[in-house]
Amino acid sequence: MRLARLAPYLQVAPLTVVFLLFLAVPILTIVMVSFWDYDTVRIIPDFVLTNYQELLFSPVTWATYGQTVLFAAITWVITLLVGFPVAYFLAFHVRSATWQTVLFLVCTIPFWTSNVIRMISWIPFLGRNGLLNSALLELRVIDQPLEFLLFSDFAVVLAYVHLYALFMVVPIFNSMMRIDRSLIEAARDAGGSGFQILRSVIIPLCKPGIAIGSIFVVTIVMGDFVTVRLMSGGQSASVGLMMMNAMSLLQYPAAAANAVVLLILVLLTVAAMMRVVDVRKEL
Amino acid sequence: MTKTTRTGFNRRRLLKGAGAVAGAAIGSGAITGFPTLWAQNIKNVTLRQFGTGVSAINEIAAKCKEDLGFTLQMTALDSDAVVQRAVTQPKSYDIADIEYWMCKKVFPANILQAMDIKKIKNFDKIVPIFTTGKLKSDSVIAQGTAPHSVSFVEGKDSAKFSKTPTDWYTMIPTIYNADTLGIRPDLVGRPIANWKDILDPAFKGKTSILNIPSIGIMDAAMICESAGIVKYGDKGNMTKEEIDKTIAFLIDTKKSGQFRAFWKTFDESVNLMASGEVIIQSMWSPAVTAVRSKGIPCVYQPLKEGYRAWGGGLALAKHLSGIELDAAYEYVNWYLSGWVGAFLNRQGYYSAVLDTAKANMSEDEWGYWMEGKPAKGEIKNPQGKVMEKPGAVRDGGAFADRMGAVACWNAVMDEDRYMVQKWNQFIAA
Amino acid sequence: MAKRSDVELIAVTKRYGQTLAVDGVNLRIPSGTYCCLLGPSGCGKTTTLRMIAGHEIASEGDILLGMDNITNLPPARRGTAMMFQNYALFPHLDCVENVAFSLRMKGVAKAARREAAMEVLRRVHMEGFAGRLPAQLSGGQQQRVALARALITDPSVLLLDEPLSALDPFLRVKMREELKALQTRLGITFIHVTHSQEEAMALADLVVVMKGGRIEQADAPRTVFNRPATAFVAQFIGGHNVLAARAGGGSAVLGNGTVVPLPDATATGDIHVAVRADRARLVSGEGAPGRIVVAGTARSVEYFGPIVQVGIDVPDLDPLAVSLAEHDFFAAPVAPGDAVAVAWAPEDIHVIAP
Repeated sequence: MRLARLAPYLQVAPLTVVFLLFLAVPILTIVMVSFWDYDTVRIIPDFVLTNYQELLFSPVTWATYGQTVLFAAITWVITLLVGFPVAYFLAFHVRSATWQTVLFLVCTIPFWTSNVIRMISWIPFLGRNGLLNSALLELRVIDQPLEFLLFSDFAVVLAYVHLYALFMVVPIFNSMMRIDRSLIEAARDAGGSGFQILRSVIIPLCKPGIAIGSIFVVTIVMGDFVTVRLMSGGQSASVGLMMMNAMSLLQYPAAAANAVVLLILVLLTVAAMMRVVDVRKEL
Repeated sequence: MTKTTRTGFNRRRLLKGAGAVAGAAIGSGAITGFPTLWAQNIKNVTLRQFGTGVSAINEIAAKCKEDLGFTLQMTALDSDAVVQRAVTQPKSYDIADIEYWMCKKVFPANILQAMDIKKIKNFDKIVPIFTTGKLKSDSVIAQGTAPHSVSFVEGKDSAKFSKTPTDWYTMIPTIYNADTLGIRPDLVGRPIANWKDILDPAFKGKTSILNIPSIGIMDAAMICESAGIVKYGDKGNMTKEEIDKTIAFLIDTKKSGQFRAFWKTFDESVNLMASGEVIIQSMWSPAVTAVRSKGIPCVYQPLKEGYRAWGGGLALAKHLSGIELDAAYEYVNWYLSGWVGAFLNRQGYYSAVLDTAKANMSEDEWGYWMEGKPAKGEIKNPQGKVMEKPGAVRDGGAFADRMGAVACWNAVMDEDRYMVQKWNQFIAA
Repeated sequence: MAKRSDVELIAVTKRYGQTLAVDGVNLRIPSGTYCCLLGPSGCGKTTTLRMIAGHEIASEGDILLGMDNITNLPPARRGTAMMFQNYALFPHLDCVENVAFSLRMKGVAKAARREAAMEVLRRVHMEGFAGRLPAQLSGGQQQRVALARALITDPSVLLLDEPLSALDPFLRVKMREELKALQTRLGITFIHVTHSQEEAMALADLVVVMKGGRIEQADAPRTVFNRPATAFVAQFIGGHNVLAARAGGGSAVLGNGTVVPLPDATATGDIHVAVRADRARLVSGEGAPGRIVVAGTARSVEYFGPIVQVGIDVPDLDPLAVSLAEHDFFAAPVAPGDAVAVAWAPEDIHVIAP
């Protein structure tokens, strides 16, 4: 009898333990450490607000967060503009499952190499003496190499889109594949043009996929520090880089406070998206 | 991490057990002659050394095993991780291979032990930069965390640095060098003589400095001072006002588009230079070599204001005792005995005891690397790869010219915390 | 609504690559007819419907609606409306917006289109559910909304793709009645695809039986039942015993040697004869003068309430089925294994041309 009553708790126990151990405990630790003090070599258990004060009252923080949010927003818009048509093409125009798989694999090519190798290979492509500039010079489209192609905000966004468009494509594709094809016929039967059907049927029904893709892209970009550093040539800041710099000087409490603030910002963003779209439909 | 520590303990207990058995053997008189026993026993020792990648060289570990019989286990980490691990996990290593500016942070945490100079055979022959601070008696001591200032502590168990030499030495120097700007002589199109030349409008969008705040700020200071923007009391320990001025200048320079990029890793700096994206930048000497080895001209340009120097050393963990401590002393004595010194010199770095290193190098090698003489034959690196053709002269010339012209040592500032905030501001600008 | 709008299919063919889905279909459906396309799956009935709707384009042939050739017109410009098999209601729109969808596509202002939609919803008695999402409705309610959505365009032909198949049997009968009543009231043409002969019989003015992309028979239900044009139709409609026979000189010989007089003396060669199961009687011995009698063994007895169906094995002949009124069966009951004789009146024999 008693065992029967315990059984459901026992069944959820492993997951709960994993969840607590690998999610709750680390986050609580970060929150705790964010209130600690530190000097050049040590972090000192304490309860001080200086980490947050230094963070929130610094214009650098605001500028950096502004920059990071801007990157996230631009990347979001572009990945959406790129991802939606790609997903649409894959879902509605590519009929055979084999071809869908092949084309999906093509989308994952950016993930086949490491960040560093990717970054190194951007140089011969986008660099001052790179392929693109050489080609444009050759074609006499430009008479000076385009410097903004590499080590610039443009390059950062390009790399983000290159990497994360897939995270937009997959959930939207998934949403699209769940749309009953007869709905589209019904819409056509009702006189809907291609664009009208897209706007009144496909996009509304893809909203959960768009939301999930947006959450992926926005959260990844907000937490990124590698791409922004490599592609901007270290010229642009991101919240992640700011934390990394603090950590490199053993200023863990400062980094932790920053992490807490970023976490709150990201959670608020996600919450806002969830308010607009009921993502649970998709799960 | 806990796990590592625990296995460490187990191994140590085993060693102690072995020691006790050995002791019993002595007592029974079964074996006579202590050195034999010691030589047998020390072979079972494993010393765990960790540190920055530059001096974690496998050949050294192999040669150590061959010469001394015990095992040296090397772990290479990046410099941030090194400081962190040194302080927070002192039981996880036996020998810390750290830089002098790190020593200033790490030693006061009381997790390292000073060495008795009487047990260091070649102590008197160590380059005086690491003892008195002066290369020659008339040298001016450079700014920053000069090695000698963190090389001695007040007593055996002290963690407090002594301004003057004592019998207790914190670190045995391993590698050190003088850093400057690297240039592409084929692309700069004019002689480069000062740190401020990186600001030349002709190089707009073709320069870079490194984005490691503690070192980047020093390069920036060298540039600012050279251009007459800021006058520093101590570039290695700036005041808030000096930091503000330096960063403000950097931000202006960045906004005007002078910099192409800021690099953080060795590979990045090599790629920037090799691809021609950048033609003048802060650089590390092996990166210059790496660019040159691709057949691309690159010069480690000596500058009037002098060099920014750095150095590393070996420090012993506090927990070392008994046979392991003996082995550690044996190891540092071996380190200074010449083979390692020659090895390091051939890499273009400098080593601590020059006399012993010289004995292990050919005359031509010594002439090229240390005396600034033109190479007579091919100059090879320790792996046997040809680095320079006959007739080549080392950038910057002789040891005395390079290490004698150090303007500033890598350092950790009192206003560290403030400096990082400002550096972030610069990067965010 | 009463404008003449006959639907006419002229040699309509649909090919998918090498596969022939619909093979030269000719059919005329007079305006205001309830027409059922009946057949097993894969017979081409749904493809035919979709070609009329405009969701498939005919490979060959023409489709006329009234005076217009609609073969290649887009769905919304044909004057047809379609109700999909699982209703295809837009899950993100409430009932009003679902019904008003085609008006929205035409750019009708929100207030006007909602009002029009409410009007149609009232017609299908769904006005009380106007604000609900499809997921919040029962199957029958969804069907009514789907009907309303199709009707709002004021079509002259309503196309229904297996509209009742998603409902439970009880609801199916109820909605069947409603569909028929609605069609009668609106007076427009309904073309209804089904694989259920019962449904077709119950609803249709015109039953079109299809097989292999071709029409086997297109007639009133009663004609189809009483005078099936082919053995397939007789079998598919059910209630018939279809027997192979050899005809000649005004009579035919069944497989077991029984001689059957034929009403039509012109038939010769291999033919089929169909005899309705409910016209057969079980008789004892030879006591059936003037009737055709076949002797066999009762194989099964199935009780359906008003009737009882007896399956009979006859040597050298396909098994026979006899439907007896309950009262008649229990007047002289048989059990499986009993020797029985089946008798028909000669006038109940229906000859199917080879």
